[in-house]
Amino acid sequence: MRRLTENIRIAFHSLLLNKSRSFLTMLGIIIGVGAVVAMLSIGAGAQESVISSVQDIGSNLIMITPGNNEEEGQYGPPVMSAGDTAELDIDDVKAIKRDATLITEVAPVVMGAGVVSYMNKNTQPQIFASSENGRSIYNMNIEKGKFYSRSAVSSSSNVVVLGQTVVKKLFGKIDPIGKIVKINGHNFKVIGTLESRGTDSFGNDQDNSISIPVTTAQNKLFGSDSYTMILAQSINEEQIHAASGEIEDILRKSRNIRFGEKNDFTVQNQTQLLDVVSNITNIFTVVIAGIASISLLVGGIGIMNIMLVSVTERTREIGIRKAIGAKNRDILIQFLVESIVLSITGGILGILFATLIATIINSFTVLETSINAFPIIIALSFSTVVGLFFGIYPAMRAARLNPIDALRHE
Amino acid sequence: MGNNGLTIHIREMKKIYRIGKIAVPALIGVDLDIASGEFVAIMGPSGSGKSTLMNIIGALDIPTSGKYFLDDVDVGKLNDNELAIIRNKKVGFVFQTFNLLSRENVFGNVELPLIYAKERIRNKKQKILDAIESVGLTDWIRHRPNELSGGQKQRVAIARALVNNPSIILADEPTGNLDSRTGEEIIGIFQKLNKAGKTIIIVTHEMDIAEHTQRTIFLRDGVISGQEDVTEQLDAEEILKKMPRLEDKL
Repeated sequence: MRRLTENIRIAFHSLLLNKSRSFLTMLGIIIGVGAVVAMLSIGAGAQESVISSVQDIGSNLIMITPGNNEEEGQYGPPVMSAGDTAELDIDDVKAIKRDATLITEVAPVVMGAGVVSYMNKNTQPQIFASSENGRSIYNMNIEKGKFYSRSAVSSSSNVVVLGQTVVKKLFGKIDPIGKIVKINGHNFKVIGTLESRGTDSFGNDQDNSISIPVTTAQNKLFGSDSYTMILAQSINEEQIHAASGEIEDILRKSRNIRFGEKNDFTVQNQTQLLDVVSNITNIFTVVIAGIASISLLVGGIGIMNIMLVSVTERTREIGIRKAIGAKNRDILIQFLVESIVLSITGGILGILFATLIATIINSFTVLETSINAFPIIIALSFSTVVGLFFGIYPAMRAARLNPIDALRHE
Repeated sequence: MGNNGLTIHIREMKKIYRIGKIAVPALIGVDLDIASGEFVAIMGPSGSGKSTLMNIIGALDIPTSGKYFLDDVDVGKLNDNELAIIRNKKVGFVFQTFNLLSRENVFGNVELPLIYAKERIRNKKQKILDAIESVGLTDWIRHRPNELSGGQKQRVAIARALVNNPSIILADEPTGNLDSRTGEEIIGIFQKLNKAGKTIIIVTHEMDIAEHTQRTIFLRDGVISGQEDVTEQLDAEEILKKMPRLEDKL
């Protein structure tokens, strides 16, 4: 222990003696570790924001969309195509309501775009049309007023609930409740406003939306009796896969899909979406690990190079130490400690550098970053390994020097 | 081991270097005994095998054949690690070019042999301070070698050689890089140490340095060509009294 602290002291001493050279040598490690930690923090930040937005929506949410997404290889929100024959309609909702045991709520959803205007201002928000229970399934909260009722849905009332962005654009500081807005030319009464939800994980403004009864949307705006999707809520998070399976069975039966035929609909739940995200993050991590190992390799070669120079420069010192009683092992450890100190110092500076970068990214871009212990521990242990691996050859060269030749070295 | 209480006991020692396929003999049969407490000079022209002999006596190298006992230890049969321990415990080196570590101060340089001593040393600091005091550098403890004169540097080297209380002090041309007055001072330190009981071996090619010792060994072409006891040993202290100081001449 005493010998080790002595060696660390000697190592710092000789690194400080050549400050600029030591720094330039460490630069490879600093940049390598810095880049990796910074990128992993961006990845972790993205993952965290996806997870939190999924949890915002509700982790026991099940989405049923028309068509077979798995077959088409899509994930996420549905894209309706013109030739889609396998539409979802009221019969599907009824079948689920009647037969499902693991489901608490079912709500049809029609999504579309429309022009909303008030006085001389207009905007084009996302239209989210659903039934009265769509609000709770989708975790939307009312800020002012109220959400449309069951009777408003059954009577296709012209009522609308506005998102915050729409309120801001059309009304500014004026209270919108009770005002009449035009949606695609039809008059609608504003009965409520939604609490702000911020942006989703894809960067979309979730507040730039309005919600109207699904029947109104079908009958008066879009003239169709199909749904964009059906939302369902499982009784709890643990039962979400069972609930998804149950829905699949019910729909196959009610839609007369024969055994062996593929589904003409897709049942997705939030945990599947999380799986997709973690898959993407894992790929990202592997790519970064690749970049990291290359830059650490380059940094390590830099260290080996400088350590070889250092051994040559200090041949005489090695000779003196050996003449005085240093064993090969003492010299080996001295130079090994020096290269490890060099690489760990580089690693620590790299982490500080990454923290700085992450803070800058966090405050000046939309990306969120999150630095946690994992990449720091990995970075430090990797830079130690690099120092050890690339230090061993120069250190062995130093240790094997013949003391007589080393003393004679000019 | 039949070395009759001698510090150094060498018999039939040969050292042959191999350069490629050519064998280059450096020592071809050396017999040498040095008793404890002796002050000996080894002299010889370059190429005589002087350096080789010194390296082997100092456990930096091992003989090709023959016997070399240092304090009952058969040095010729040791491996690298064991040789390092011998150098650390039994040998104190003083070099012509001082060979101090430029980054360490006087204290750090003198401490060096104790750092490589395997066991924990008691009163380590006191030992270092004593060694520094014995060469008269107490006031220079925190100075680096580049702040010292040649004579002072050599004093640091002597303190470093002394600190582990070795069996022999081995000095290779210790005055070669010094002016004659400073050289005389250094020889004076060796004489003082010898009077205190230290065994000292000086390798030199200057006759008047050899005349300060008790016995001179002449080496020529890899063998000992002669030995003579110094009848009238020069006393460095006396000479220094008569010697004008350089400053006085200005």
